[in-house]
Amino acid sequence: MSVDTAPRRVAKPRSGMVGSSQGGKWWLYVILTVALVAVVAPFVWMVLGSFKGEGELRQVPPTWLPESASLDNYTQLFDKLSFGQFFTNSIVVAVVVTIGNLVFCSMLGYALAMLDFKGKRFIFVAVMTTLMIPGVVTFVPLFVLVANAGLIDSLPGLFLPFLVSPFGVFLMRQFILGLPKDLLDAGRVDGAGELRIFWKIILPLCGPALATLGILTFLGSWNNFLWPLVVAQSEDRYTLPVALALYSTGQNSTNYGLLLAGATVVIVPILVVFLIFQKRFIEGIATTGLK
Amino acid sequence: MTAHTGTTGSPTGPVTPPPAAAPGRPDDRSPRGAGDGGSRTSRGRGTARAREGRAAWILAIPFCLLFLAFTAWPVVQSLFMSITDTRARDLRKPFSVNIIGFDNFTKALSDPIFRKAAANTAYFVLVGVPLTLVLALAAALALDKGITRFRAIFRLGFYMPVITSIVAVAVVWRFLLQDPGGLINTVLGWVGISGPNWLGDPDWSMPALIIMAAWRNFGTAMIIFLAGLQAVPAELHEAAAIDGANAWKRFRHVTLPLLRPTMLFVMVTTSIGYLQVFEEPFVMTKGGPLNSTMTVSYYTYQQFGFGNYGLASAMSYLIFVVIAIVTAIQFRLLRERT
Amino acid sequence: MRRTTAITIACMTATALTVTACGRDGENGGSGAAQTGAAVSSGKATGEITVWAMGAEGDNLPKLTKDFETANPGVKVKVTAIPWDAAHDKFTAAIAAGKTPDVAMVGTTWMGEFAASDALDPTPSQVDKSAFFEGAQKTTEVNGTSYGIPWYVETRVLFYRSDLAKKAGFDAAPTDWQGLKDMAKAMQTKAGAKWGIGLQAGGEGSWQTLMPFAWSDGADLTKDGGKAYNFDSPQILKAAKYYQSFFTDGISNKAAPATPTTEPDFAKGTVPMFISGPWMMSAVEKVGGPGFKDKYNVAPIPAGSAGSSSFVGGSNFVVFKNTKNRDTSWKFVSWLADPKVQAKWYTLSTDLPSVKSAWQDPTLAADKKLAVFGKQLETAKAPPSFPTWEQAVKGLDTELEKITKSGEDPATGLKSAQQQADSIGTGM
Repeated sequence: MSVDTAPRRVAKPRSGMVGSSQGGKWWLYVILTVALVAVVAPFVWMVLGSFKGEGELRQVPPTWLPESASLDNYTQLFDKLSFGQFFTNSIVVAVVVTIGNLVFCSMLGYALAMLDFKGKRFIFVAVMTTLMIPGVVTFVPLFVLVANAGLIDSLPGLFLPFLVSPFGVFLMRQFILGLPKDLLDAGRVDGAGELRIFWKIILPLCGPALATLGILTFLGSWNNFLWPLVVAQSEDRYTLPVALALYSTGQNSTNYGLLLAGATVVIVPILVVFLIFQKRFIEGIATTGLK
Repeated sequence: MTAHTGTTGSPTGPVTPPPAAAPGRPDDRSPRGAGDGGSRTSRGRGTARAREGRAAWILAIPFCLLFLAFTAWPVVQSLFMSITDTRARDLRKPFSVNIIGFDNFTKALSDPIFRKAAANTAYFVLVGVPLTLVLALAAALALDKGITRFRAIFRLGFYMPVITSIVAVAVVWRFLLQDPGGLINTVLGWVGISGPNWLGDPDWSMPALIIMAAWRNFGTAMIIFLAGLQAVPAELHEAAAIDGANAWKRFRHVTLPLLRPTMLFVMVTTSIGYLQVFEEPFVMTKGGPLNSTMTVSYYTYQQFGFGNYGLASAMSYLIFVVIAIVTAIQFRLLRERT
Repeated sequence: MRRTTAITIACMTATALTVTACGRDGENGGSGAAQTGAAVSSGKATGEITVWAMGAEGDNLPKLTKDFETANPGVKVKVTAIPWDAAHDKFTAAIAAGKTPDVAMVGTTWMGEFAASDALDPTPSQVDKSAFFEGAQKTTEVNGTSYGIPWYVETRVLFYRSDLAKKAGFDAAPTDWQGLKDMAKAMQTKAGAKWGIGLQAGGEGSWQTLMPFAWSDGADLTKDGGKAYNFDSPQILKAAKYYQSFFTDGISNKAAPATPTTEPDFAKGTVPMFISGPWMMSAVEKVGGPGFKDKYNVAPIPAGSAGSSSFVGGSNFVVFKNTKNRDTSWKFVSWLADPKVQAKWYTLSTDLPSVKSAWQDPTLAADKKLAVFGKQLETAKAPPSFPTWEQAVKGLDTELEKITKSGEDPATGLKSAQQQADSIGTGM
């Protein structure tokens, strides 16, 4: 369809690069496919490995296809885990954290990018500063703080400290900086309030950025290991990665079968979230009237 | 999915005519321009400005509250720790320790392993960041404009390393990098190159980790680039193409300037992540052989593990200072000319 | 932006400084004379206690605690299983915030640090310390005071492929250093092995393979009456030279990866000997497949001038000082040290008992390979329980890597390790 010699008035699909013919692009598919294989191989090995026995997993060189595929690792895992509880904890925490980041970070990101106010510089510097401080250094002080607030072994203790992130603010600010400011002025001329402009004009344009932030935040929260481990004092509060780590790693040895099965199980919700959000990449600006 | 642009892309589309706004927009949208409202004073309406400020603070308050509650105090306390002789045993009484000023900092800077780790980290960042960014940008451009089919598959595929468990990744990469018999050296052998003992040779262990890190992280940068590329209207490309600009020129003069804020973001966050590199050496080499892959963050992590909280905090803030300098340079470099 | 950053940091620092009225108050936990915990009341245990235990142990422990609850009606033992990954971080944070459980399983090398944090309750006199293997009991003692009990133990022995050894002309395991080296060499020349023996070429934890030799020669890791590290003693030097010779003679691989492929190499016969702990038995049998059990054997560490010794590890059980139910906590811990309970725990977990008399239980006594571990445990030694041990021994590991990989002179390496250890101090 991009074979297109029509007059220039005819708008092209935005995906088709102008002037490139179909024949000129086959090599791109080849390169991308080769890259895809190289990039996805370890993932495939992980999934295949989760069906292998412990002996086979330790073979050198490793095998690709299971010699005798079995669900043993999975049945063992699900027998041991009160899966529903851990899954619920993980989902609740990840969803709350993701929503918190989407809402609060886009709010501040918009203010920092488009509005003029006292203290703006200070806030931005504070955001950037904390983005640069290695997390390991504030870990224990943060834990003691949360403990003194009586939040240990509670769901709020798991998500409250992560409701906003400097990363999210920075991401939203940078993206909103790239939007035309004429939008803002147009809205103002129409007499819309600042918050209304944010809500009605800016936010709908942020689809791709929000999708990106959503995926990254969800992934980060979902995979978070150390914080939930330390905050949870009873197994009822464990999240999925914490519970999975219980069985795969011993004092002196690792059970690779359980580990790979756990890693595979954990990935499924992330894939779902990615597939939900990734539609936004495509829609993006196309649906917003900014053309 | 490809049809929609046929209608919405009509030249009479609403709001903004992008081509006019394209080359060098006359506004202060530079990243650095965050604080200077100067260029907009022409608006000159006092009440409007007050309203704007009030709205901004309403938007900022939730973040600020959470920030003050959960970030500010731990930062202050850790800063304090960095100038004391705090050890693990003192954590219960964090203030009954001795203030030793900058001793921790000088101690860290004169530690030969810390210096070696700093050099290793610099190597990792200087090679790893450009490599990752180029891969990510190339992938994003290819998926955004280069191809029209199977995009979703490629996009998801390239993102897989990001979500695959690091432990599984480590197992596979150890196999890939094995010598002899690893896949990489086998392939190199086909073209007559005898590959090195990647993880066993102090000269090759760091390059191996850099390749692995680029492989593992370019997916994140790619999806952020993809989001940024959505903001580049196709009409600009078409207009430029009509003016006879080739693909490279269009990239250079149309895409790149509009991608600048995204570029800055990806560069800054990737650099911050790589300056704090920890996981790759942790799962692959434990810093070896002969400390050739010991990084500053890994070394700091070890010091925390040993209970040297004062020293380790100081090391963390040394990392912070370097990150701050690097970030400031990047902000300056990628500032838009206005 | 630069200026604002500077101001921000300056403000933060200033705040930090004014908040404080600092300085050490002198007294610190774990100092002074050896202590014994106050006596625990007699009679049945009551109330509820919380217990933390790691990994598979935490997973299996409730099966055991049921018996305790039956024997003490009304008692509730709440077990929380903790992943081994980052378990140490969890304890550190919990101690910092005063949120420790009543009772917990802890790694033997964490004792010094936790005791120095004044977090542990000294063992009361009711607990019979002589019931345990001596090396294991030593892991609970910090500065002369015992905190808790050794719960289960492990020690390192020599694993070798008995079938390949026959091929190489050896019917039995070597009993001295020269014998070990001869056999390793013969494995290469006569039995087709690529490397004679898999010894860790430095790096994390490699001291655990070096020290069994040094201890067998009478080494002591402390000096000055247990007040300082002692890494450059003649015994350790002798062991380090011996250890190095395996690499210079090409018997051991100096470029082995950080994560060794010990089990498959052993099963394939490419590396038919190594030194490791009891968990390796099930690991190599899994990789080796059916019948592999009969193709390998274990033997004590080849003896030096002071007999055969090895490294003892495992886990201890401690009671935290801020427990609200001290009596029941200690009753539970003492109960875990009961020989019958120890034997039952072995059947539940295959963890080796720390109580000597538990080894007479038929399930343990019948296994010949296990008996080797049991024998080795009698002479096995533990590293000093200084809070800084992990950090100090890191220096030794690093030097050992230079000794094996780049041929550094062992004397120079050990001297450097000693200097680093001296500058770190014992942390007591």
